[in-house]
Amino acid sequence: MSLAELIKRAPDADTLALWLEKIPYAVYLGIRAEVRGEDILFILPGDKKLIGNPTLPAIHGGVVGAFMEQAAGLHLVARMTAPALPKIINFSLDYLRPARLRDTYASCSLTRQGRQIANVSINAWQDNSETPVAIARAHFLLPGVD
Amino acid sequence: MSAPLSDSEKARIIERMCSFIPHCRQLGIRLEQVVGEELTLRLPYRPELVGNPETGVIHGGALTVLLDQTLGTAGICCDRVGTMITPTLDLRIDHLGTAPAGLDILACARVYKATRRILFVEGFAYSQSREEPIARATGSWVQMRELDLNRLLQTSQAGAQQQ
Repeated sequence: MSLAELIKRAPDADTLALWLEKIPYAVYLGIRAEVRGEDILFILPGDKKLIGNPTLPAIHGGVVGAFMEQAAGLHLVARMTAPALPKIINFSLDYLRPARLRDTYASCSLTRQGRQIANVSINAWQDNSETPVAIARAHFLLPGVD
Repeated sequence: MSAPLSDSEKARIIERMCSFIPHCRQLGIRLEQVVGEELTLRLPYRPELVGNPETGVIHGGALTVLLDQTLGTAGICCDRVGTMITPTLDLRIDHLGTAPAGLDILACARVYKATRRILFVEGFAYSQSREEPIARATGSWVQMRELDLNRLLQTSQAGAQQQ
């Protein structure tokens, strides 16, 4: 089944895993997703290959951004009434703390879904969600609108 | 502040930095060129970086990694800044298009304003032509004057950007 067909399925835990498996870069980063009540929790497992600062050591800031962008995209798909692959327009990322070499988590909220555009905010943390390592905002273009 | 570094001195530092950062080594991110205060890094195309399996187009997140690395390295090329550790404060990326599958991505960056504490940096990514960027980025970096990158690189446990 193609990714485009797959995303039409309800976003339960199994489907989220299947979505992620279809995206080579998400597989490369090792991103996982879990359904927590109404929320989806995204997980970036700590991995030495992702280190950007070997002295701390800390995960590469760009990788934290990439993880958050992927989380935002899948969160949006999971919330769409007629799921389709959205296209990212822009991404704005604030770094608050270094992401140490351990698991990083992300959760998203769909701030607004209009007819053509969706706005998603993303929170990424390690110890607890009240002390984020980074926060971000993404705009997506929704496909299939004339 | 000592005399500005030559392009080849800047290039040597950046090459060492790319090889010191595990994730840059993993992706094969390497220096393409330094011209004055502008640098260009190259991200080789790899199937693992694909975001859309149907088109083979590289994931937007991989561009984020390349642009964060390139913009974050621009301080080294800025004659007013030099070799200092500069953690990223923020980064904003506009996705203007996509690179055709199979092509390397290049990213250029330069510091357009350096204040005493903050570097304001801009850059862009392209594959086929500089004139047709696929993404544009701006961001700010904090100067950590007490941490000299060159000294860190000379010790074996060297690092680059904080985070």
